[in-house]
Amino acid sequence: MPEEIAISVEELVKSFDGHVVLDGVNLQVRRGETMVVMGGSGCGKSTLLRHMIGSIFPDSGRVVLLGEDLNELDGAGLDRLRLRFGILFQSGALFNSMTVGENVALPLVEHTELDPATIEIMVKMKLEAVGLREHADKMPAQISGGMKKRAGLARALALDPEILFYDEPSAGLDPVTSAEIDQLIMDLSGKLGVTSVVVTHEMDSAFRIASRMAMLDRGRVVAVGTPAEFRDSADPMVKQFINGLAEGPITARRQESNYEEDILGVSPRHGR
Amino acid sequence: MSESAGRKLGVVARLGSALLGLFRYIGGMGWLLADTVRLAARGLFVPGVKIGRPALAAQMIRVGVRSLGIVMLVHLFIGIILALQMAPVLRDFEMVDRVATIVAIAQVRELGPLITAIVLSGFAGAAIAAELGTMVVGEEIEALRAQALDPVRFLVVPRVLATVVMTVCLTVLADLVGMFGAYLTGAGALGISTSVFYHTSVDALTVRSFLTGLTKAGMFGLLISVIACFEGLRVGGGAEGVGRATTRTVVYSIFSLILADCVFTILFYAYDL
Amino acid sequence: MSSYDSSAISQVRALRTPGGVQAVVVTLQGEVDLQHSPAVRQQLIDEAGKRPGRLVVDLSAVNYMDSSGVASLVETLQRVRGYGGELILVNPTARVRSIFEIARLDRIFRILTDLGEAMGE
Repeated sequence: MPEEIAISVEELVKSFDGHVVLDGVNLQVRRGETMVVMGGSGCGKSTLLRHMIGSIFPDSGRVVLLGEDLNELDGAGLDRLRLRFGILFQSGALFNSMTVGENVALPLVEHTELDPATIEIMVKMKLEAVGLREHADKMPAQISGGMKKRAGLARALALDPEILFYDEPSAGLDPVTSAEIDQLIMDLSGKLGVTSVVVTHEMDSAFRIASRMAMLDRGRVVAVGTPAEFRDSADPMVKQFINGLAEGPITARRQESNYEEDILGVSPRHGR
Repeated sequence: MSESAGRKLGVVARLGSALLGLFRYIGGMGWLLADTVRLAARGLFVPGVKIGRPALAAQMIRVGVRSLGIVMLVHLFIGIILALQMAPVLRDFEMVDRVATIVAIAQVRELGPLITAIVLSGFAGAAIAAELGTMVVGEEIEALRAQALDPVRFLVVPRVLATVVMTVCLTVLADLVGMFGAYLTGAGALGISTSVFYHTSVDALTVRSFLTGLTKAGMFGLLISVIACFEGLRVGGGAEGVGRATTRTVVYSIFSLILADCVFTILFYAYDL
Repeated sequence: MSSYDSSAISQVRALRTPGGVQAVVVTLQGEVDLQHSPAVRQQLIDEAGKRPGRLVVDLSAVNYMDSSGVASLVETLQRVRGYGGELILVNPTARVRSIFEIARLDRIFRILTDLGEAMGE
């Protein structure tokens, strides 16, 4: 079987208010793999994710998801495609006016003709998969951040998606909960063959779950490869990032800027 | 280019961009309104389309029942005030019992809908904007979209329908309470008998007055809720943004309510309604 | 419910085990997904309604099953257990089996590798 491409990001450019956030991003995600997108704050990784899920659209370039060019789909076409992938948002993004169980049931109630009894069982199954079955009747405000994330994952799983997107799945979680979420991500891709895209800056987690990883810097993909390739990389920027070093090309950029001229006010072109 | 010409251009450019911003704002709200009407109509008239009746009921309770007390109290005072203010003037013409006429007409055609809507813009409008704004900040709106659930159908339609219906209902009650307030003044301080007050009021009121008043009420409800939903959904920048949206909702609502009231009143006057 | 798409049900046979137990074998095929599982559910509930001693669901020809299909099997299990019968799943593919594992249902269902075994005892 030829290697199938689930997501193809091609020459993606996006700027906000004249500030270029994505500057020609290319990335291909193969079916069934777990692609981890890494990069420092403000490198554009969240923006890239939002392009992949059809939440925002590029100035130029395109995203092809499951064979469909997102730029060319109308609202109804996008909605049809949206039923085939799930997203775990950074905060979990549970609907606060509904119980945990109702949150998970919502996509099933809204998008399927299934019997309520079937939906009830499915909700229990999804919640059991994330270890929250006994919390089905709680409101989101009553549960912890880690539980919210797991509930958000259960909701993302409701329609048995082919692709799962994770926005900073371990941000703000304690190490044990974070490891649990990682295990879930690995189970889902290992056992169900779900394609996963994980945006994160947590290196431990990234190396645990990735089949391949990509590093983003200043709106461009600077490296793509397997975790082993990343570990052995000679690229100083990759080295600095994955080892979390204070000194290297990423921080050197900051020192190169004209601090002295700026603070002394003698620069001839200080208005730049 | 001379410096003053440059400055002039600056003013023109700023004015232009402000105007453009205003058009964009109104245009955006127009789209939201069109979407809401389309989806509400589909939900109400096309069988099999889910409209979320529980959500509608919940919103009606939130908008209507919670503000019932304050709306009633405000109109009781308005009735009392209006009667007391008019009494000296009318006494000069020896027509003190006409207090009932003036209050009835003012209340039903003007103050009932307007004051109710103003109270609601502070009550329901601000609450809706804050709620939707918080949902934006919590990524809930994006999550809805990502699950192929239209936030307009899911959140805006029930809120707008509920606000329109409840503004009309509250206005009916407000009209009655306002007149009751005037009656209290009339009976207590002005020496107008119950039967005179009652008959004068009934004579003054026409079906047409009621209908124009309630039409206004419905439109006011639409204005408040669409502004609130629009402001709520366009929140950016965290909790601070929610606060700003809430304030703007109340300010813009009150301004547009009075503007709309003026337009309606001119139209009603011109067409002798 | 004839309006459902029942193409995922290939065969329903009423048999008797060597030990004389009334058994029904439902053979499913293809994809038991959101589109097909309502028909499968209806069929299984109807069969369970006849209270056979043993209800066997042959999954060997099912190449994909989503959680709505699994949920339908859970509902059937509830009913069969309710009247004291037995539900046996036969030969799910690895992929289908892993759906049971993710939802931690592999311990709840009785899953056997072949039909002969399911009809034995």
